[in-house]
Amino acid sequence: MSDEPDRTKLPIQRPPFSGVANQTLDGSRPGWEQIGHVEPPEGSPNVLVVLIDDAGFGNPSTFGGPIDTPHYDRMAEEGLRYNRFHVTAMCSPTRASLLTGRNHHAVGMGGIPEFSGGFPGYSAMLPRDAAPFPKVLKENGYSTAAIGKWHLTPEGEQGPAGPFDHWPNGWGFDYYWGFLAPEAGQFDTMVAENQKFIGVQEGKDGKPFYFPEAMTDQAIDWLHGVRGHKSQKPWMLYYSTGCSHAPHHVWKEWSEKYKGRFDQGWDKLREETFERQKKLGVVPADAELTPRDALMPAWDSLDENSKRVFARQMEVYAGYSENADHHVGRLLNAIEEMGELQDTLVVWIWGDNGASLEGTPTGTFNEGTMVNGLPLTDEEQMQLTLKWGGLEAWGTEMMYPHYSTAWAWAGNTPFQWGKQVGSHLGGTRNPLVVRFPRDVKGAGGLRSQFTHVSDVGPTILDIVGIPQPRSVDGVDQQPMTGVTFADSLTDANAPEAHTQQYFENFGNRAMYKDGWWLSMRMPRIPWRLDPELLKKFAPGVWKPDEDPVELYYLPDDFSQANDLSEDHPEKVKELQDLFWEEAEKYKVKPLLAGFSPFFGILPPLGAQTVTTYYGDVQNVAPGAVPRVYNHSYTITADLHIPDGGAEGVIVADASHLGGFSLFVQDGKLKHTYAFLGVFEYRQESKESLPTGDVNVQMVFRADEAAPATPGDVTLLVNGEPVGSGRMDHTVPFGFSGYAGLDVGRDNGLVVDRSYAEKAPFVFTGTVKKVVFDVAPHLDDGDERALHEQASQAHTVRGMDA
Amino acid sequence: MSDTEFDVVIAAYLIPDLAQEDFDRLVKLVADKHLEVEGVALVAEDAEGNTTVKETGDHLGRKGLEIGGGLGLVVGLFSPPLLASMVIGGAVGGLAGKFAKHKVESGLEEKLGAALPPGSAGIIAIYDRAKGETVDATLASAVRKSVAQIDGGGAKQLKAALAEAQAGMGGG
Repeated sequence: MSDEPDRTKLPIQRPPFSGVANQTLDGSRPGWEQIGHVEPPEGSPNVLVVLIDDAGFGNPSTFGGPIDTPHYDRMAEEGLRYNRFHVTAMCSPTRASLLTGRNHHAVGMGGIPEFSGGFPGYSAMLPRDAAPFPKVLKENGYSTAAIGKWHLTPEGEQGPAGPFDHWPNGWGFDYYWGFLAPEAGQFDTMVAENQKFIGVQEGKDGKPFYFPEAMTDQAIDWLHGVRGHKSQKPWMLYYSTGCSHAPHHVWKEWSEKYKGRFDQGWDKLREETFERQKKLGVVPADAELTPRDALMPAWDSLDENSKRVFARQMEVYAGYSENADHHVGRLLNAIEEMGELQDTLVVWIWGDNGASLEGTPTGTFNEGTMVNGLPLTDEEQMQLTLKWGGLEAWGTEMMYPHYSTAWAWAGNTPFQWGKQVGSHLGGTRNPLVVRFPRDVKGAGGLRSQFTHVSDVGPTILDIVGIPQPRSVDGVDQQPMTGVTFADSLTDANAPEAHTQQYFENFGNRAMYKDGWWLSMRMPRIPWRLDPELLKKFAPGVWKPDEDPVELYYLPDDFSQANDLSEDHPEKVKELQDLFWEEAEKYKVKPLLAGFSPFFGILPPLGAQTVTTYYGDVQNVAPGAVPRVYNHSYTITADLHIPDGGAEGVIVADASHLGGFSLFVQDGKLKHTYAFLGVFEYRQESKESLPTGDVNVQMVFRADEAAPATPGDVTLLVNGEPVGSGRMDHTVPFGFSGYAGLDVGRDNGLVVDRSYAEKAPFVFTGTVKKVVFDVAPHLDDGDERALHEQASQAHTVRGMDA
Repeated sequence: MSDTEFDVVIAAYLIPDLAQEDFDRLVKLVADKHLEVEGVALVAEDAEGNTTVKETGDHLGRKGLEIGGGLGLVVGLFSPPLLASMVIGGAVGGLAGKFAKHKVESGLEEKLGAALPPGSAGIIAIYDRAKGETVDATLASAVRKSVAQIDGGGAKQLKAALAEAQAGMGGG
């Protein structure tokens, strides 16, 4: 009988007691296997998976792009470039597919965790029959950690009450440090560690906090700790950057390196990138460069002012991206210093969904304006850029910047479209580099087998020599639908294993089979999402098979430049039918389930309309903050003001680019409402607050229960009105994708810059209790309408992740 | 006394050399006698947030306003330290101006400093109201402009107009 344990059933059974247990130790013999641990297969390598966020095929220099990525270059020269690797065109779906080795809908992640829908493919709830491969490694004797961006935990579960099954630890990681949100400010990241939010962190050595640096330090510390504890135990590290997702935050010295390098504009940049791609061989010599869509302006049509502003946007993005490469390099160097790089399988994916088109054609000083459906003109964007610090501040914490749609398109060279657009390669094809000296033959080579993000897990298990489990925690497992491409490491001509794959994200669809690719793009602009525009996709109105189609034969047409649909109607029909078969099999149906709130299909109405915070509650995640949007609400606080008075924040949410703060300053009660960095509304009491026990209240009485409703603010002290004001605009969907609510202080970026010097402006009295009532004065109709808006808001907030 | 009525404009730029180009065009219009200004200055905010008057072309008009002296109207609104790096425009005519004989405590430099972030630039000009469209078109690269009428010829009126123009620079 083999000593090798049965690894197809996890957790691996502890071997039976081999010793003897008598009544006393007299004659008893221990069985030391009882205190042993599961060992991985002999020679199991370490595994490092690096995932860069919101980047395109044509961004890094390793794939011909304009952004210097020397460490990615190095890994490619010592490993392999894969130039036909595919993702899902959206953040969470790609991550779910990556970690589970299965199709995203099959594991409930057809949409995003900000909206858990009522259909199996869109629940955002990882099913127990789809154990992620890190959990499989862990149960087979690996140490596992995830560091960085997560975005796989349902928003409603992101708090101390849990549950925690869908937090990183529940996905099989021993240790987690990073942010759960779809995106985060890089200078004021609200960090979670394992199962707790620990908030905005301090920098090291007197330097300000910067997330890319901090997450790398955390990763290195974790590796050092593991190795210090167990000299031989293999590890698996999932290192997932917040970069290069908005906000594009980076130190000036990184963006300055690119000064002037984008003055030629996006049209020329695409041509330059395309030429380099051909020279490198990552794009075949006969490939064609696809044209610009009319939704994006020609560079030459812009005035000089616009050109200069746009160029600065891309300089910052490039510096931000190179900085990410730098920090991955630090991590690789640390592994090398530990003497383990040669025994580490490195899988490095540059982008999870193509570069993001969500900055709108103008680019934006605050991505939150797009998320909240606030269209801004070129002129307004420039004025607001001026307001928050000018071009010098683009890239700093004063803004939440995202570059123009057209730069993203250039980053996706040579393809059409980008993020969200699952029908085309701009959103679905990203660079992959694999380095593993033990197996790779022909280092520096290129591999062109069709591969998919779901293949990564099965490939890693294959290389390590661990079987896919049939059962985990007593639950029979869905087979992994990804296919190992381990053979391609040793053989450039290994047969293509992944021959068929569907793609679907928020209605944009594609069906790939044996080289043929059918694109079925919804006629929807990726950076616009509002109920009015979605009417044509409503139930009973939208007929998916009537969407325009494009057919490409990828072996002859790398970039999807030649539509063959008119010449091959039979192939179109075949692939349309095949898509529906796959949709049935993998729970893709019903299409647009992730948009269901826009069509009146809502989750059960929550009963909680009053939220009470006792004491010093901090770092409440955005999804758990009381929903103060689009209707009347009150904030009431019981304070104790000592003799001599007090100052500081009573309660605050988010920042100057969207948020509110109720605070005491110069003895007076004040309320500031930041409307996305566009307007600020301030009210204050006429008189100073009394001392002793004091009750204060902020009452917002909306004009109507409707999105972005205006309304009147009244401040009260011990029940008496003391100040008032008008708010002509309010935020309809959300203040921030990542910043939290704090009682008794304003952590991270502050809402009102007047107290920035004193941040976090801790309240010097006592905040005994803060109560939010988000449903005063509502009738049933209003309540349902607001529930609908709130559900839509959750969807929108996650869409740009 | 001249019957010319004047406006004041404050224009803010994200990109300093585009401000310089607009400034040069404005000065050339005056030199070519297409426009009459009572004063114009180019102001820059460096990366550290220091405000300096880079160039001025005060009182470039043919007719000018009948009173004034010293460095001229617009320059006179700034305090001496700000003028250290100033270049007097080559087209400068008589350094006299309708308002400049009055000491105007405008607070302009502070307000401009607040309105102009580091790395940006601004133009302030006092010009013949009848040529408002020309001035507006010339300051083409400004991302924000605020214009106020000067209702009369005294320091009080100028101060009020400046306050109005400065207020227009705030907000989003």
